[in-house]
Amino acid sequence: MSRRLSNAVIAALLSLGMSGCATTTSSPSNPNDPLEASNRVVYAINDGVDKAVLTPIAQAYEAVTPQAVRTCINNMFLNVGEIWSGVNSFLQGRQEDVLTTMGRFLLNTTLGLGCFDWASANGAKRIPNDFGVTLGVWGIPTGPYLVLPIIGSSTTRDGVGKLADTYVNQFEIGQTIQNIGIRNSLYGLEAVQRREALLGITETLDRTALDPYSFVRDAYLQRRAAQVRGAEAEAEHLPDYDNFEAAPADDKALGIPKKE
Amino acid sequence: MNHIDMKKFLNILLIYIASLVGLNANGATATTPNDFIEQSVNATLNTIKDDPSIKMGDMVRISQVVDSFIASYVDFKKATRLSAGRYWREASPEQQDALANAFRNTLLRTYAGAFTRVEPSTTMKVLPFRGDVNADDVVVRTQLFRRPTSDPTIMDYRLEKTPTGWRIYDINVENIWLIENYRNQFAQQINQNGINGLIDALNQRNKK
Repeated sequence: MSRRLSNAVIAALLSLGMSGCATTTSSPSNPNDPLEASNRVVYAINDGVDKAVLTPIAQAYEAVTPQAVRTCINNMFLNVGEIWSGVNSFLQGRQEDVLTTMGRFLLNTTLGLGCFDWASANGAKRIPNDFGVTLGVWGIPTGPYLVLPIIGSSTTRDGVGKLADTYVNQFEIGQTIQNIGIRNSLYGLEAVQRREALLGITETLDRTALDPYSFVRDAYLQRRAAQVRGAEAEAEHLPDYDNFEAAPADDKALGIPKKE
Repeated sequence: MNHIDMKKFLNILLIYIASLVGLNANGATATTPNDFIEQSVNATLNTIKDDPSIKMGDMVRISQVVDSFIASYVDFKKATRLSAGRYWREASPEQQDALANAFRNTLLRTYAGAFTRVEPSTTMKVLPFRGDVNADDVVVRTQLFRRPTSDPTIMDYRLEKTPTGWRIYDINVENIWLIENYRNQFAQQINQNGINGLIDALNQRNKK
């Protein structure tokens, strides 16, 4: 499973890289997206698969499972993920994040049984982290935006990070659960749960986005950039609309120091 | 660890107490940005939580509630102007009005979509204010808990002080700022079909 998935990702990276070379003649609307033409094709396929298969499954899951159970299952998967998030915070030199993440893991595992997120309720929000962010903190540029089959939004850097994340996730679960049937059911449940958590977002997206492809791309790139900057720096970062607008109509002192 | 968590916990407790005191003392007139968000967003949350028809997904009723929220608290003209960026000045006053109205409906649908997910146990926490209290352009940071023990969503509001009080002009959901996101889509549409093309595209979206 691990190897098959990894191969699929590598094949996707390669094929996108090659097809991208042939289709970059028209000027892309976003400089971070030189492979837009081929990305849009993969996006359309993913969207079709999502609407035909994943969304109905997630909706059925939402219909038959009580909210409390879904929140619990979601928290359990997030809780297991905290260990690898903490390792990445460590690799990024964010010691306070390491402490928060490990504290969350201990509190939620013991008092919350993995099922309740008591740490968030007490003001220690989850700090999502992965190896793609670590590579970013280490100074590796994102590279072109990529839409991967099934996985969706990524970049060259995050695709490489995803390989490490997937490997660790498989290793963690593989070590704990030896029964292959249960293990594969868990992977399935995790995928369905993740999709269910996003149902509201995709409904809104379909209703409001002018161009869902570019909405998703810009949202992904913004969010990843924010994660690389880190929670502390992020609190002080604001988009600067003055640069975009010709007239300095809003040249007022911001409540928070501007970045750059 | 204990020290950090304890500090966060005390901070939250303090804001909570402060907000209770603030509500009682100030009533409806919000002076600080945090009070403004606390009152405007919570009032809307409570309206939705108390209305049984909304829980059944009555989009007409939700739209009414959200519409009055936007009318009272959101500067959609500024949001439109910043999303259109340099193209705003190329538009005629009529086009600017049409664009702002079309985008207002898009905002309405965005907020309405978010409010259909509100549950009886949904709560908002306003985080401590970090900026300069006297500034005219500020950010209020909040976390939205759909349920008390679920992973919260970051919701930040960017406000401007106007003669009639604070007005929201940009929102940030999980590190994605609305205007920053829309301006690429706006630019793309304008480049392809002009400003009227963008207005048509928004209006068509809104009809769906």
